[in-house]
Amino acid sequence: MWIQRVIAELRRPVRMDDEFDRNVMSVVRSLPRHRYGTWARALRPRTITVRPLLPSVAAVFLLAVALSLGHAIGTLRAARRTRTRSDVAADRAASARVTTRRAVQFVLVAPTARKVQVVGDFNDWDASHDEFRAEHRGGGVWSVTAAVPEGNHRYSFVVDDSLWVVDPTAPRVIDDNYGMPNSALLVEGGDAGR
Amino acid sequence: MSSLTSASFGLVAAWVVISAPCRADAQSNSDSRLTRLDATTRVAVAAVVDSARKTRLPTEPLVDKALEGARKGADGERIVAAVRSLFSELRTARVALGAGATSDEINAGANALHAGLPMRNLAQLRSAAQHAGRARVTLPLTVVTDLVARGVPIAVTSDIVLSLVRSGLRDADFGLFQRNVRLDIEHGADAATAAQTRARGAILHGGRSSH
Repeated sequence: MWIQRVIAELRRPVRMDDEFDRNVMSVVRSLPRHRYGTWARALRPRTITVRPLLPSVAAVFLLAVALSLGHAIGTLRAARRTRTRSDVAADRAASARVTTRRAVQFVLVAPTARKVQVVGDFNDWDASHDEFRAEHRGGGVWSVTAAVPEGNHRYSFVVDDSLWVVDPTAPRVIDDNYGMPNSALLVEGGDAGR
Repeated sequence: MSSLTSASFGLVAAWVVISAPCRADAQSNSDSRLTRLDATTRVAVAAVVDSARKTRLPTEPLVDKALEGARKGADGERIVAAVRSLFSELRTARVALGAGATSDEINAGANALHAGLPMRNLAQLRSAAQHAGRARVTLPLTVVTDLVARGVPIAVTSDIVLSLVRSGLRDADFGLFQRNVRLDIEHGADAATAAQTRARGAILHGGRSSH
């Protein structure tokens, strides 16, 4: 068959002349060479072959790194938060430690009052503390003796749950922030009375 | 799962993990007493208190100022403004009084600054106290604030208290001086005149003048 002969001819190795290879390479070397700069090389489009498994593995690795980082930061913040909480407790503990309580007598002459309370920074301005509720001693004189921590304090009388009255015998504090003045009280070691 | 989806998921997960402690952080540091304030005011006040704590300023006066505002029915904006103002005064007072000042001194110094005492006078007062061998200036500063509140001009008040401190007046005598000036003013005396007159007597008699 003629087709078989054609196939056999095509399968037969072609023997090239050694001079042919040298001539081809000589022509290639004589062609102008392309020179790319750094940016040109970086921007030159290329075709990259990626195995399908590789992006998934990279994503899992990145997630693991992110979670570890997040956990580490969370732990650090938790430690700092714990420290801050203990700072708050320490502030209050320091106040309590420094402030040994001393008995202080508060007196207000208010003949028409039905109720007199003492509020100040020593009771968080909370009028519900019974120990700071004054009693009527007669003749319009109201008084209460309460334990107040040592230190520099601000306070006021609240008459009938609504009227704020400074202690007329105490130093005053210019507290114009809320439109109502306060009295100052400095409780130090030894007996304090006002 | 595409590579883009994987990366996005990773970033979202990281954000959740990282930001959760931040959110918890903002809600948990505040003093429990501040729960009397509304949420917005509480956050703002807690931030100021936190700043004070980080700079080693006394925090109790700030919490106290906020509680006082809440008790007096002030709105949140006013409370925050008052707390911020006090924070600034506490900071200035500490600078003027020096690193060794106690919390009470810093607080009294802040009150005096609020009353109008210049910072340099506060520093002068501290310096004079040290030269006179006085350990603390809490009571002199309380007297400064009281005299100004009773109508004695700040310049006169500053000079008087500085003189009293330099003379070595004791705390008990300072208390007596303050009481005598108050009584004079209540009896109708001019505030500045009463303060100056009583100061001369206190210095002359070592603070043992009486009404």
